[in-house]
Amino acid sequence: MPYIKEERKETISVEGDWDIGGSTTWKDSTLLQGYAQGLKEKRIIGSLCPGCGKVIVPPRNICGRCHRKMDEKVVVSDIGTVTCFVISAPFAKGKMQVLGMDPVETGLVGEGERVISVYVKLDGADSNIDTELIGAKPEEVYVGMRVKAVWAKERQGKLSDLEAVEPLRD
Amino acid sequence: MRNVAIIGCGQTKHSARRRDVNLAEMVGDAVWNALEDAQVTPQEVDAFTVGNMQGFGGVAQPEQWLGDWIGAAGKPVLRVATGGSTGGCVAQAAFYAVASGLYDIAVATAWEKHSDSKEPGATTGLSHVALGNTINMINCGLSFKHLLSMTLVGAAAGVACYQAMYYMYRSGSRVEHLDMVAAKDRRNAAKNKYAHLQWPGCTPEDIAKTEWVAYPFRYGHICPASDGASAMVLACEDIARKRCKKPVWIKGLAAYSDEENQIMSEGAGGIGILDASQQIGATMSAIKAYRMAGIRDPQKEIDVAEIYQPFPNQELIFAERLGLFDEGTAWRALEKGETDINGRMPCDPSGGVNATNAIGSSALQRILECALQIMGKAEEHQVPKEVHNAVATGWGGATNYIAVTVLGDSPY
Ligand SMILES: [Zn+2]
Repeated sequence: MPYIKEERKETISVEGDWDIGGSTTWKDSTLLQGYAQGLKEKRIIGSLCPGCGKVIVPPRNICGRCHRKMDEKVVVSDIGTVTCFVISAPFAKGKMQVLGMDPVETGLVGEGERVISVYVKLDGADSNIDTELIGAKPEEVYVGMRVKAVWAKERQGKLSDLEAVEPLRD
Repeated sequence: MRNVAIIGCGQTKHSARRRDVNLAEMVGDAVWNALEDAQVTPQEVDAFTVGNMQGFGGVAQPEQWLGDWIGAAGKPVLRVATGGSTGGCVAQAAFYAVASGLYDIAVATAWEKHSDSKEPGATTGLSHVALGNTINMINCGLSFKHLLSMTLVGAAAGVACYQAMYYMYRSGSRVEHLDMVAAKDRRNAAKNKYAHLQWPGCTPEDIAKTEWVAYPFRYGHICPASDGASAMVLACEDIARKRCKKPVWIKGLAAYSDEENQIMSEGAGGIGILDASQQIGATMSAIKAYRMAGIRDPQKEIDVAEIYQPFPNQELIFAERLGLFDEGTAWRALEKGETDINGRMPCDPSGGVNATNAIGSSALQRILECALQIMGKAEEHQVPKEVHNAVATGWGGATNYIAVTVLGDSPY
């Protein structure tokens, strides 16, 4: 039997939509809600592993390495160290969209602004949180930089209560 | 457990838009090319393992569409999906099928057809990965600005951006080394007739002229989204020795996950204890696969590596995880040209994933390219030395999942 291989003409392209939007019901633990509530009181909560003693922020139910439940909650510092950073290209109007919105048009970032995204290991934690570094120029950020949390003025028990981090100056 | 060999390889031309074929035809081409290469008829194939990124191209169960085209009607078909490492796991599943004695001849095929997705990056498929976590975070009052810094800074290159920063900090390498890897891979791809981004004579300076995506990545560092497919015929020892002049033996394999490396997991719980460049899953997979293959010193015994590297830092990181270079020194070897096609330890002579990324297929292609090097059939991108042993990787899952496969010209 010959192998089926032949030159083909252009295929037709049929347009279609596959809406997988927010129609799912995702069961999650209430850990993140508890974490967000803590932020209202400027408390950053992590979970402690009874096996390896590591603290994960935000909290997790189970330690991936030890496979043990992390029931005990601990409060870590709002001061920490930058372990990694990435700097965005300058933002420009019409260049990109998030959730259907233009970040420059909505006034979230300025034209030409560069956002610094950092991983921060808070004192007392073993894992990193990801957040934004403000109050520093892109050329000023470095691994090992000491930073502290920038809190929202009116905190509501939301993730947004922890707005960003800024350089720790003393 | 029985010895298993690759006795035939097939792939398609890769490009951004393969509008000349539909999904089934494209995968069919790769499978038919592999069958032809192995001189095996479709009737002789006992079982198929197949895979691509779940949901990509807007097709939920592609194997049901393309089954007829690859000659799988009435035969066992197993679909495997492990994100970017899919192709590696598809090949490993075919190995298990034959090594177990269940089947004598199995075909492994993997593919991606990005251009069937309307939106760039096949958001439909990627949404499966993080949607639940993200919605939970939004419900808990994640600010739009935070979402922006999380997604936009890293979006184009995801976790690899941070991974590159961690590696550069740890090893002392610089953005110039990313330029050098990308330029080498595009030059290599120019010698590979199936590759996507071919750039003969590409220099690090050419790459350094491209625009920033997000520091430390430029556009020139980043892989394309390719349409394409690849396939291999695997056979048990009796058949392999009878039917193939130079069978390529799968000597060792492993696929490990490392949960502590995950960027976001349950309840958005932090970004891992390990830094994203540690890739313990790769170390564990390599140790297991080498032990199975009887490789004691990879620096001496491995002749060529095909590393899954959509981003150039990954070629350096994984080369170290595979033990091909000492910790933190792969970039020095790169500077000396050791990873060039004619170097001491050629890495990705095909151009690798950095030049061609049909995601589901990419990790299977790494194994396939190692097989071509051992068979001496890599044509223009054949490395100019004897190849006895080669190693291939795949990287995927939620940044934590690795598949390593060791191949050789003898089963022992
Ligand atoms: Zn633990």
